[in-house]
Amino acid sequence: MTSSQQPLVTAERLASLRRAAPVLLLLLVLVAASLVSAGTHGLRLASPDRSRVDQLRLAIGNLPDDALVLIACDADLGTYPEIRATTRVAIDDLAAHQARLAIVSFTPEGRAIAAAERDRISRGGRVEPPADLGFVAGAEAGLVRSVASIVPAAAEGTIADAIRQRGGGIGAFDMVLIVSGSDISARSWVEQVGSRLPDLPLISIAPTFLAPELEPYLRTGQLTALLATLREGIAYTAAVSAGSPSSPGPTPGPLPMLIGMLAAIGALAEAAFRRLVRRRGRPPRNGRLPS
Amino acid sequence: MRRAILAAIVLVTGLLVLLDLMVVNPSLDDAAGAVNELLVLLAAAAAVGGGVTLVAFHARNLAARDGDSSGSIVLLVGMAAILLAGLRPGSSGSSDPAVLWLVAALLAPIAASVFALLFVFLLRAFRRGFALRVRETSLMAGAAALVMVLLLPIGGQAGDWLASGAGWMRDVPLAGVFRGLLIGIGILVAVSAARSLLALDGDDE
Repeated sequence: MTSSQQPLVTAERLASLRRAAPVLLLLLVLVAASLVSAGTHGLRLASPDRSRVDQLRLAIGNLPDDALVLIACDADLGTYPEIRATTRVAIDDLAAHQARLAIVSFTPEGRAIAAAERDRISRGGRVEPPADLGFVAGAEAGLVRSVASIVPAAAEGTIADAIRQRGGGIGAFDMVLIVSGSDISARSWVEQVGSRLPDLPLISIAPTFLAPELEPYLRTGQLTALLATLREGIAYTAAVSAGSPSSPGPTPGPLPMLIGMLAAIGALAEAAFRRLVRRRGRPPRNGRLPS
Repeated sequence: MRRAILAAIVLVTGLLVLLDLMVVNPSLDDAAGAVNELLVLLAAAAAVGGGVTLVAFHARNLAARDGDSSGSIVLLVGMAAILLAGLRPGSSGSSDPAVLWLVAALLAPIAASVFALLFVFLLRAFRRGFALRVRETSLMAGAAALVMVLLLPIGGQAGDWLASGAGWMRDVPLAGVFRGLLIGIGILVAVSAARSLLALDGDDE
């Protein structure tokens, strides 16, 4: 009796494994690099240009005593890991400046992230979690509505009462920290809130893909401060944690970043070179060989 | 006639919101507020409608054994899990521990992993692009490689030069092109909206 079962190791499987080998190897190298990254000398991920960091620190430092600060958390689940460490450090920085914090979201993803961050702060127990103003439906229309009223009817506590005493809208706050995402970013805030409340300072933390869109608002002063690249975020994290006894938590290291970037540059160069070699080997279109 | 009514509604609503921004008047403020409330309701209705349509589409796919059945099952089970966690009796909605767990342990890592995979897929796309459109792909790959070189996380004087080069690249060519695109899109949207409102599109007559 002969068996019709396919052998476990076929030529096709071996070939596909061989094709995937470089990617697996790169992943292994990146994992190893992230483990030894803390001790690498000669590498620097933090941006050497400190102007953006200083702007943000100045904006937070200029807050009045017992300032009310609104955290507008509308990040995306996909890009939030890039700005997570910076956002957490900024919340700690605000709390260290005795700011009274409240958190609100205008997107469902932002709400999920905000709830998770509040839960993390509650469990940490170091600082008081921001007052929860929940989710406001209607995207930009909801943002406009919040200019007049942002506190949910059921909200209780000293911060909710303080916001109500100051009018109950976004104007009650001394500053807004916008954690930007693709749906609602600092641009929406400048357009919808900045035009109605021009004296309200708006600061933002944004993933890199939003930087070209938000830069002009920083230059015109419509945004008071902006951290929109990973390197600026790392520089801010380092600056804040230098004067703080608490750890900023895990931040990306330069070595895995360097290896990933070199691998990408190498892969691009290899693809271009391969194409060039193929073109050289191909006979000319008119059928005549070059003299 | 129907088109004229729609155009009139859009025109009046837009003017009302604009006037409210420019003129301080309690009555105008109330009217613009009412329009805004309607917009919020419309957005909520659109979101619920979108969700129901998605469920109906995938349920129909499953019933007809059409399309990617496993994908439909995953989507429906995922939606059900989140809805159950957030809407079950005694749940605290989006702050409920079950919802928080689903977000922190499943949704966030999955979304971040999909974004991280872009690295690999983008490189593969470049490889295919070189086989199909050499000139355009070469230009794109060259620009990408240049930006990556400028962003290399190197310390010392060399790192400072690279970082200032990256800053210039972002602030001058990239920001210029991006602003040009945004201005162009803005003009196009304004022109096409005006044409629609004034019923200047001949083929709609």
